[in-house]
Amino acid sequence: MIMRQLLEVTNLSKNYGRGNYQAPVLRNINMTVCEGDFLAIMGPSGAGKTTLLNLLSTLDAPTHGSILLDGADITHMKNHELSILRRDKIGFIFQEYNLLDSMTLQDNIALPLSLNGVKSSEVIQRVAEQAKIFRLSAHLDKYPYQLSGGQKQRAASARALITKPRILFADEPTGALDSRSSRDLLTCLKTVNDAGQATILMVTHDAYSASYAKQVYLLKDGQIQCRLNRGQDRKEFYEEILSMLATLGGEQE
Amino acid sequence: MKLYTLAWSNFKRSVREFGVLVLSLAFSVFIFFNFQNIVFSDAMDVLENYNKDYIDIVTETLSVVFVVFLFFFIWYASNVFLNQRKKEIGIYIFMGLDNRRIGKLYLLESGMVGLFALAFGLVAGLAFSKLFQMILLRLSRISADVRFSFSLQSVMITSAMFLTIHGLMTLKGCHTLRTSSVLNLLSGAKQKEMKPEHRAVTTLRILAGTGILAAGYVAAWRTGDLDSLELGLAATILVIVGVYLLYSGLIPAVLRALTRSKGYLYKKQRTLWVNSLAFRIKKNYRTYAMVTVLMISAVTVLAVSIAMQQRYERMVWFDQTYTYQIISSHEWDGEEICEGIEEDNEVSYWNSFRLLLMDASVFDSRFQNMSGVVSYSQVKEAAGRAGLDFTWPEPGAYEAIDVSHEIMMSFVDEDRAGEKITIDGETYELLGSTKTPYLGNLQTYMNLAIVSDAAFERLHALAENGRAVENWVYNYRIAVPENVDASRPYLTGLAERSEDGSVYTGVNFTDPLNRDTSWVCVMYSLCLFLFATFVLAGGSIMFLKTGNDVYEDHERYQVLCRLGIPRRILGKSVRSEICFTYCCPFVLTVLTSWFSVRALGNVMKEDLFQVNLWSAGAILVLFTLVCAFSVRMARRKLLG
Ligand SMILES: Nc1ncnc2c1ncn2[C@@H]1O[C@H](COP(=O)(O)OP(=O)(O)OP(=O)(O)O)[C@@H](O)[C@H]1O
Ligand SMILES: [Mg+2]
Repeated sequence: MIMRQLLEVTNLSKNYGRGNYQAPVLRNINMTVCEGDFLAIMGPSGAGKTTLLNLLSTLDAPTHGSILLDGADITHMKNHELSILRRDKIGFIFQEYNLLDSMTLQDNIALPLSLNGVKSSEVIQRVAEQAKIFRLSAHLDKYPYQLSGGQKQRAASARALITKPRILFADEPTGALDSRSSRDLLTCLKTVNDAGQATILMVTHDAYSASYAKQVYLLKDGQIQCRLNRGQDRKEFYEEILSMLATLGGEQE
Repeated sequence: MKLYTLAWSNFKRSVREFGVLVLSLAFSVFIFFNFQNIVFSDAMDVLENYNKDYIDIVTETLSVVFVVFLFFFIWYASNVFLNQRKKEIGIYIFMGLDNRRIGKLYLLESGMVGLFALAFGLVAGLAFSKLFQMILLRLSRISADVRFSFSLQSVMITSAMFLTIHGLMTLKGCHTLRTSSVLNLLSGAKQKEMKPEHRAVTTLRILAGTGILAAGYVAAWRTGDLDSLELGLAATILVIVGVYLLYSGLIPAVLRALTRSKGYLYKKQRTLWVNSLAFRIKKNYRTYAMVTVLMISAVTVLAVSIAMQQRYERMVWFDQTYTYQIISSHEWDGEEICEGIEEDNEVSYWNSFRLLLMDASVFDSRFQNMSGVVSYSQVKEAAGRAGLDFTWPEPGAYEAIDVSHEIMMSFVDEDRAGEKITIDGETYELLGSTKTPYLGNLQTYMNLAIVSDAAFERLHALAENGRAVENWVYNYRIAVPENVDASRPYLTGLAERSEDGSVYTGVNFTDPLNRDTSWVCVMYSLCLFLFATFVLAGGSIMFLKTGNDVYEDHERYQVLCRLGIPRRILGKSVRSEICFTYCCPFVLTVLTSWFSVRALGNVMKEDLFQVNLWSAGAILVLFTLVCAFSVRMARRKLLG
């Protein structure tokens, strides 16, 4: 299978601040994400992981450099083009689940489709499919406040993936979850990824979460310091990540 | 002093947030002040010589209504504000402020808000006081010069009233803050869950709500006259309870049903706003019910005032039928008098008739001091010359037509058809009653009847033995009634009275500007004022409520924006939600007020359908404006 390039980042830099008081957060980042990838970005707090993710996911604009998504440069797009791009090609999962508390799980998952004018019957069917993948079928009629954090995060993932985005961005999706809920969520994401249904780019500072990915990048001092590829075994990969973090002085548990 | 600085900086920082509260409190001060100012101003002195007692009763009643209104309005506004502040105040707890100091902080903030609101309200009130009085007088058709005037008394009363109520609310807020937990504060008033309700309770609410409201409507429909006033009272209570139950039962149930039918929900981007409405209504229904009841009251008050106005206008018309009435013990040349008047005034029409005044022993005068009869053909002719409709058939030998007049505060529409009256020991059957002023103001002071020409001649014989007195009445109507005084010297010159009283001529002038019922007009315009206040208050409560909802929605919409949902769709969703919110009270108000106004019309014997049209129009215009304003505000806050 030929891996198609989905995201191509060249010389990406981001400074915060104005005039003489600029502080560089990202410096000359180059990376590519191919279709079917499951990439985890790690790094110490303040390294610029969220900043990078926001740039890639069009929520923020870079200082220099270009980002090509599906061959189109997103750094020069107008606001409404970006909004269409986010709607059609990008999915998001945030650390706080960001479900709307005013509607049931089913309506939450259906939201992106129903707001974009998809036929009701198709919406209902797609919601059912997603619910099955994320093991939420029994909870569709419940409101967010009636659910555990893990269930909410899985629902957020289902909502992000229901539009069949080209790429899914997740910023510390397991940040607020206990280890069991984290494992459930990551397993689901991995399943979707393995089935070729989603390309995922995930930020995490937790080596265990990262070990579910296919590649792990370490971000430090505004640059990608190290790239690891996963072999067959997840446990082995986990050890590898830990030792990388140890040698490069990243966060350690 | 640090606390003071913090309070002040908070106040400056969130001018927007405080602004809405200051504005709505200032509104209440403005209204109350203007009302007080009118009560204590020159405008009321003008009426001193009229029925001061009536006016005092009216203004006192209205004062009570305004105070009650002020109380609820301030209570409501403070609550909304407190809920908005809770979260921020909760954070201060983390910064090491204890509950007591936080209470103090709130006290300071609220004090500033109160003082600003009072200042704004009073300044605006002063600025508009002249305009208000002018409008009031114009509506009351009282011509008086209004100087720019304000009384210290009204300033004092308004300030005292406002500060007391606002102070009470602030203390209540302080108490809430001191006694609530950090968690409670941090989550603010934000609704976290959709309270589940037992099926049976919901069903009961729906059934009871629709049933009670329907019963209220039926009761209002059947309210007919004074006797059925209990029915009217029942209707009022039933409608209020019914509206309340409707908002807590049927409407949420319908919305919930809509959210459950996904085929409907997922179409046309309904999901966001329908869900949001369904989620909120449980929390907001009291407000909507309150606004609806307020609006219905407003329309009913308007109906009362219009009914008064209509009746008043008929009375004025009644009075104005003849500008001059000359009643004399002997015959005059009507044409000659007419020419005399025309020296100074143009006469529109004139007529005359003979009136047989009778002793109470001959013709019982019922409630009046004097009684009399007139002949059919003379009245018919007089009516023809005055341009009044006259469709009565000639009474038979022992039949008569009762002639009476409008009474302002009477709710009984008397038709005495079939009743028997006795004149000179003989029984006459009444064909009916008329309130048309054929005989002019005489009808107000005397108990009169129209009898057939034959009967008149028969009764005329009584004059010969002194048991009746024959009078000649001449009526003139001038083209410009305001110009009544121009012919006064000439007509006064005609007046005479002999020593023994057997020869006399009296002249009665109708001064259009000088009627002791102008208090009705004052009442009418105060009612209009009340209507405007209620409707505006309803509008601003809705505005506050949507503002509060928007405040809670902020995070939700940020998420939606990040998810890439186009602003256009979100904007539309915001509009639909807010429009629906305004629609419910409007529809219910129009529907209910139709019944209430009809009932009132039945009791007061007035056709008030135009009140429905006008009030619905006024509320529609206001709500559309406020709604558009709400939508704009919400879009700006939510979508940047
Ligand atoms: N809007 C901003 N303005 C100025 N500086 C910012 C802004 N956002 C982030 N920064 C700075 O940029 C750096 C990177 O922030 P970022 O949020 O990307 O870190 P992160 O890797 O996601 O950290 P964490 O693991 O704690 O989430 C930090 O030093 C932060 O202070
Ligand atoms: Mg981060």
